[in-house]
Amino acid sequence: MHKLEVLEEGRRPISVRRRDVLKAVAASVVASATSALTGGAHSAGADDLATGKGTAMNSRPLMTVRIAAAPPQKLYTVPHGIRSIVPVTGGDFDGARLRGQILPGGGDWLLLRSDGVLELDLRITLETDDHALIYMTFQGLRHGPPDVIAALARGEAVDPASYYFRTVPRFETSTEKYAFLNRIITVGVGETRPDGAVHKIDEIL
Amino acid sequence: MISRLLMTLQVVVPPPQKLGAVPHGTRLIAPIASGTFEGPRMRGKVLAGGADWLLLRSDGVLELDLRITLETDDGALIYMTSFGLRHGPPEVLAALARGESVDPSKYYFRSAPRFETSAPQYAFLNRLIAISSGDRRANGPVYTIEEIL
Repeated sequence: MHKLEVLEEGRRPISVRRRDVLKAVAASVVASATSALTGGAHSAGADDLATGKGTAMNSRPLMTVRIAAAPPQKLYTVPHGIRSIVPVTGGDFDGARLRGQILPGGGDWLLLRSDGVLELDLRITLETDDHALIYMTFQGLRHGPPDVIAALARGEAVDPASYYFRTVPRFETSTEKYAFLNRIITVGVGETRPDGAVHKIDEIL
Repeated sequence: MISRLLMTLQVVVPPPQKLGAVPHGTRLIAPIASGTFEGPRMRGKVLAGGADWLLLRSDGVLELDLRITLETDDGALIYMTSFGLRHGPPEVLAALARGESVDPSKYYFRSAPRFETSAPQYAFLNRLIAISSGDRRANGPVYTIEEIL
């Protein structure tokens, strides 16, 4: 966890070129076909990754989204787990390419699964400072050690490196200036704070 | 974004079913006949029966919506879904459509896979967010899937 935290603070040390990754993949696909026959080892690239060291995915910051929410509506046990619905009352977002406010009216439909993982299912509307509307959704997962999750539930401030909170946001807009959002895959690193959630969203290049 | 390799996945795709223009765009359904996957923590084959429900949007972006079943070499079943986007310069997409081999860095082909399994040794898949990088080859795509740490 410490190592990850350091990496995240430093942010994208040296990005592995996508082409290099794909070359390694091509090599490993061939190598695996061979190893299936010979019982041999993985390719060198796969071995490096098998040691558990993370690598830097080719990405760049899109924006940080800060969400203000009303107290959750607790629906308790439903067929898929424990359901809570969190109305979004506002918030803001900013990045190098866009900034603005979150409109009230969205929400996050939370489901606590039987394996202890919290599933997030968010739908909100962003309004940029130049008045474009952007529909944003994400699905995500949050989980961690029981004591950490309990502290979050009590509304305490917790180091986000001590739990896993990742999302895959998607966007829809008709505004030409922001149409690039319609065409990208993104990943968010989430943080639950006493006053709401903060998501640092990266575009996957 | 910090990540590590989860697996490489190669699927074999017979000719797609072309449904033509539907309300959301141009629909193609590509049944998945077979495939293999391999990574440091898992390996195995793709079972027949899945497919990729493709939608070519009016803005030229191809949306991918894959559902397949993986079977590991130790007999576990894993349900995998993946939502993705593919787009690029018109001449590159035309070359892909002709079945030519194209440098994958010439177009954008990314997706976000999700997994479900009841096998304890693979339960970590239920708890992770992943991103995949695709390479569309003549006989089917190869995906490099990375776990987001």
